[in-house]
Amino acid sequence: MMKYCDKCKIKINTNNKYCPLCQQVLEGENTKGLIEKYPEYVSVNRKIYPLTKKVIMFATILSIIILLVINLATLDENPELWSLIPIGSIFYFWIVISFGVLSRENIAFRLVILTFLLIALLILIDELSYVASEVNYLGRWSYDYLMPFLLASCNLAISSIILIKRIDYRDYIIYLLTIVFLSLAPIILVFLDIIVVNWPAMVAFGLAIFILLFIIFFFPKSIKDEIKKRFHA
Amino acid sequence: MNKESSYDTWFRLDNSGKIFPEVSNHRETNVFRVAVTLTEKVDKDLLQLALDAILSRYPMFKVKLKKGMFWSYFDYNSRPFVVEELKHYVCGEINPRKNNGYLFRVMYRNTDVIIEMFHSLADGAGVIMLLKAIIFEYLVLTGKDIKPDNLVPTKYERPSMEEYEDANSKFYDRKNKKHIPEKRAYRIKGTPLSEDLTGLISGTISTKKMLEIARAKDLTVTEYLTALMMYTIYVTQIQYRGHIKSNQAPVKIFVPVNLRKHFPSNTLRNFSNFVKTNMVMAKDDISFEEIITLVKEQFEKGMTKTELIRKMSENVAFEKNVFLRFTPYFLKKYALKIGYNMLGMKLNTMSLTNIGKIDFPESMQPYIYDVTAGVYSGKFNTLNCSIMSYQDRFKITFTRSIVETKIEREFFRHFTNLGVEVEIESNYVEEY
Ligand SMILES: [Zn+2]
Repeated sequence: MMKYCDKCKIKINTNNKYCPLCQQVLEGENTKGLIEKYPEYVSVNRKIYPLTKKVIMFATILSIIILLVINLATLDENPELWSLIPIGSIFYFWIVISFGVLSRENIAFRLVILTFLLIALLILIDELSYVASEVNYLGRWSYDYLMPFLLASCNLAISSIILIKRIDYRDYIIYLLTIVFLSLAPIILVFLDIIVVNWPAMVAFGLAIFILLFIIFFFPKSIKDEIKKRFHA
Repeated sequence: MNKESSYDTWFRLDNSGKIFPEVSNHRETNVFRVAVTLTEKVDKDLLQLALDAILSRYPMFKVKLKKGMFWSYFDYNSRPFVVEELKHYVCGEINPRKNNGYLFRVMYRNTDVIIEMFHSLADGAGVIMLLKAIIFEYLVLTGKDIKPDNLVPTKYERPSMEEYEDANSKFYDRKNKKHIPEKRAYRIKGTPLSEDLTGLISGTISTKKMLEIARAKDLTVTEYLTALMMYTIYVTQIQYRGHIKSNQAPVKIFVPVNLRKHFPSNTLRNFSNFVKTNMVMAKDDISFEEIITLVKEQFEKGMTKTELIRKMSENVAFEKNVFLRFTPYFLKKYALKIGYNMLGMKLNTMSLTNIGKIDFPESMQPYIYDVTAGVYSGKFNTLNCSIMSYQDRFKITFTRSIVETKIEREFFRHFTNLGVEVEIESNYVEEY
């Protein structure tokens, strides 16, 4: 049975008490077993940060401040900004958790960003901890070994994702191309004499070239399509 | 050329669709819905099957939004589409991350099937086609003996390129694209509903009666309802308050026009334009008749071919601008956003969308009870109206982002005062 509002002269099929137009009490009986046209409001849980997250967050910010204060206070004795190493690591840890693990971004995109940031962090650590007089080795381990090694691993990782998830490979190809081009960086650094030990850079470069040629020969259309899509104006 | 749904599929955003991804958020969702009420309870699993079948026929909807260097674009989406149970939200934000990347939702509740669509992907006419196809396929799966009668697209047809075309740019006229600056419109004020909730109130009247009422005044139904809307806004909000500054802004009703009815195209994507009424109402003695005359005149002016092409070309010219075209996307995005927020949405008091009557083949009719349309309402357009009819059920739906329902009340009382029966539906957002 429809209910009725005497003021608005309208009919309405509901078990609610009031007229939605004028808030008067509706005339008529409730209908048994009536399913309301629209579902009732259930309050969404506002994102409440769980206590553990709050505690960790608090501890992080506190330790960053303490590190900075100690570093700046003792700058006379030790003129290095050593606190950037733990602070950078803390930030990197947060990015790994929030962006690398918890986000729903494309996995290849996450890998590229995390690799890039990790390389930046390691170069920072290397720069800050480098003491020229103490060793005979003139190079920097971050440039010589870690950068090529990390780029090559990222290349391999994304390639394997593409091989495993064959159906979706087009979603990843743009990121593979990005990392392949980033892998050319060590070779440039070799020519600029920043990299002293050449073979890791060569290996990374060789792998990048191999992957690039492989895509060009076996998936030429996908590259063309992807570029067309991404660059249409 | 025919295309099967595949990884080769990708689309540019159509001309009018380009703006929405940049200006949409949880408040201004740019989402609209169409719903069908069937005569039997909806079976979730069969609905899912129907969707799977139809989506491979409509690759246009099986997409996700991706960013390019200069523009974003729709790319083939390989993830599964999942139908959901209807929640209380009306035209809430479609967050692709929570929706497998899809830009539309299909929901069910009791006997209803509801599609909500992000406006970038299609307009009302496009969604109606999708809805018809889904319902047809669904009814077939439930074992009904029905025939498409050329009124409903089925999964057996192959998609044609024409369905994807950006028809706006096809009618672009370089010589007729003058931009006419506009004044800010009157805004309907009220108490905002909490938590981005949207209130919905529909009123159903007899289609036959509706036509009679409009024809008695020598108006089309859309013209009549637009005039009535302006009159209701005037009576409830402005009359005797014309001395207040904010009430002196013109009341402007934005009425979408389905261009497929004026220009040849079968596209499923955005191909609509608008006419707009415009009237400063800061006087104490405006009559309904006066508004009717004005609305009629403004509709006629706005609907001429030249004027429709001018409005289309104005939009397309913006996109053809070489400087803008080659601005990287991440910068362009901000330009669009700022431009739109400064003016775009503040140019209308409300929108009144008449999707029109929906036809189903005779064999399907016994299984369909009625249809409902709805559009989002946001911060500036606090109240919107959408209309859709099936057989003798003519349904006018108001969606609002404010608590007050004065306009709805007076609007429907106008009909009850004429002795027309009105049946109301509400999502009872005020009870929360
Ligand atoms: Zn009432």
